[in-house]
Amino acid sequence: MTELTVDKINFFHGRKQILTDISFTLSAGDFCGLLGPNGSGKSTLTKVLARVHRPRSGDVRYDDRSLLRLPRRESARLVAYVPQSGGGEFELTVRDTVMLGRNPRIRIRPTADDWDIVEDTIDQLGLSEFADRQVGSLSGGQAQRVLIARALAQQPKVLLLDEPTSALDLRYQIETLSLVKSIIDRDRIISLIAIHDLTHASYFCNQVLVLEDGSIAVAGSPQEALSPVDLSRIYGIEVIAERRPARVDVFPALFETPGD
Amino acid sequence: MNMTTEAAVMTAEAAAPTRSRRSRRRYLRIRAASLIGVTAATAVLLVAYVAVGSGGIAITDVARTIWIGGTGRIIPADFQRTYDIVAGLRLPRVLVAAAAGAALSLAGVVMQAILRNPLVSPFTLGVSPAAAFGAALVIVLSGGAGNGFLATVAAFVTAAAAALVVLGLAHTKSSGQITATVLLLGIALTQLFEAATSAMQFVADQNTLAAIVRWTFGSVNEATWGDFQAIGIVTVLSAVIIMINAKHLNAIAFAGEDAARSLGANVTLIRFGLIALSVLLAAVVVSLCGVIGFVGLVGPHIARLIIGPDHRHLVPFSIVTGALLLATADTVGRIVLAPIVVPVGIVIAVVGAPLFIYLILSRRTTR
Repeated sequence: MTELTVDKINFFHGRKQILTDISFTLSAGDFCGLLGPNGSGKSTLTKVLARVHRPRSGDVRYDDRSLLRLPRRESARLVAYVPQSGGGEFELTVRDTVMLGRNPRIRIRPTADDWDIVEDTIDQLGLSEFADRQVGSLSGGQAQRVLIARALAQQPKVLLLDEPTSALDLRYQIETLSLVKSIIDRDRIISLIAIHDLTHASYFCNQVLVLEDGSIAVAGSPQEALSPVDLSRIYGIEVIAERRPARVDVFPALFETPGD
Repeated sequence: MNMTTEAAVMTAEAAAPTRSRRSRRRYLRIRAASLIGVTAATAVLLVAYVAVGSGGIAITDVARTIWIGGTGRIIPADFQRTYDIVAGLRLPRVLVAAAAGAALSLAGVVMQAILRNPLVSPFTLGVSPAAAFGAALVIVLSGGAGNGFLATVAAFVTAAAAALVVLGLAHTKSSGQITATVLLLGIALTQLFEAATSAMQFVADQNTLAAIVRWTFGSVNEATWGDFQAIGIVTVLSAVIIMINAKHLNAIAFAGEDAARSLGANVTLIRFGLIALSVLLAAVVVSLCGVIGFVGLVGPHIARLIIGPDHRHLVPFSIVTGALLLATADTVGRIVLAPIVVPVGIVIAVVGAPLFIYLILSRRTTR
């Protein structure tokens, strides 16, 4: 059984501790929602796992190999990372952006195989008609899709997503989450997604981790982990969490009126 | 395009992808053809530039000189004068201009990629004012006599030292702030060294002042084969190292430093190493030729317009555009006010500034 094991990760920014003793294990096919208030360490944890940040102590293992000690080229073949947003002053076409995902597997120039994988990924994510367009000319949802395509072109075993849905409207949020879910189910990879919407997470993810001040406050299946008492304390606002068969409806107690 | 996602994955998989694949192949062929075409045209133009000027030298004379020099034959007596002009003066001049342009453009394309900013050049770190200061110091200390070699060495040492200070200080900051810090420290050092040089010019006598000013003008008027070898070797070695890292340059420039790390790039090492290499290129050119602006800025932009942003093609193409640009500017400088030779640094600034303004204004319309 292939597993991703995160073992006692501690991360400091200067003297300030951001993550404290983070430990958990995920198995192939798991889609884990990383929840918690702003500043609780969701993004930082995602970046530590993606080797953007180096933790002060702790280890991340995949299949008993320490990901943090592998050469970057090798860990980048196992773990892919989808940042919140990409781009800057310089821009590539959609196709060339997705090709960046092949970087860990090419020497200097891509081979015909690399181009085939890139084209397949582009087709798979429904981006074929935009392949020659600049990424900056696409809508937010399409651009997000390109970043996911880039990560998939890495053919990773672990897919990390840092709040990919925060800037998207409802339709694109649901499209993005369903897309990731379908890929996890098809390829049996492990995915960890930092996300704000608790109800969305409870529907799409089979595991959730709720961070509070850099520590794991609760963890488990959404049905077990998302309790109104814990969430009210963690978020500092009275919330109601109603368990439904396929999801947990989380909303502020304020919304509940006597008539309901 | 109303797709609920799982369906989107399915339908898209069924869609025929052949159209995009064909267009991609055609695009790659065009890129390869333009790289080869422009390189060949540059080579021909460089030979033609050697023939430009007084002395009645034909392009065939240039070819003959290269042939004789290359094969080590004995020079015919009636060809000796022409041979001396071409091999001793014109060829090194054109080649040094081309090599300097190539070096600056190469340094520029790397700096722009790593700092993710299209407005930076190899001189952003304060390399050229630092070099000018070093040379001015030697000129003042030697009382305006001007030991050319010593001034060159001093220019190189101060330029490299200034850049190392900028890089060293910037790397004490956390990773996200390094780029902005490098740019700001570069501005600070530029001001500081310009003030120091001005101070020396203020106290210097007439002769010394003239020597400092003459040094500061970028020119290839005194170009030698040794200059060409120095710039050429550094440029070729740097180009090899940079090309090996071209895919990482792509990741840093287009995906950002964080994503580049997750794509397998050792960003800290690459950033420090390649910026240091750019500084070395700029410092070698400045110390041998003086301050030549704009090539490092405009060369990469022209290359980007023609060949596109992928650094696997952009890096070699920038070398070609830089070489062509500076060799052309120098040739223009030789004929525009003949018999006066206008220093190439002045020509390139006069040509480069409007070109750059045009590039800025036309930037967003290419999409």
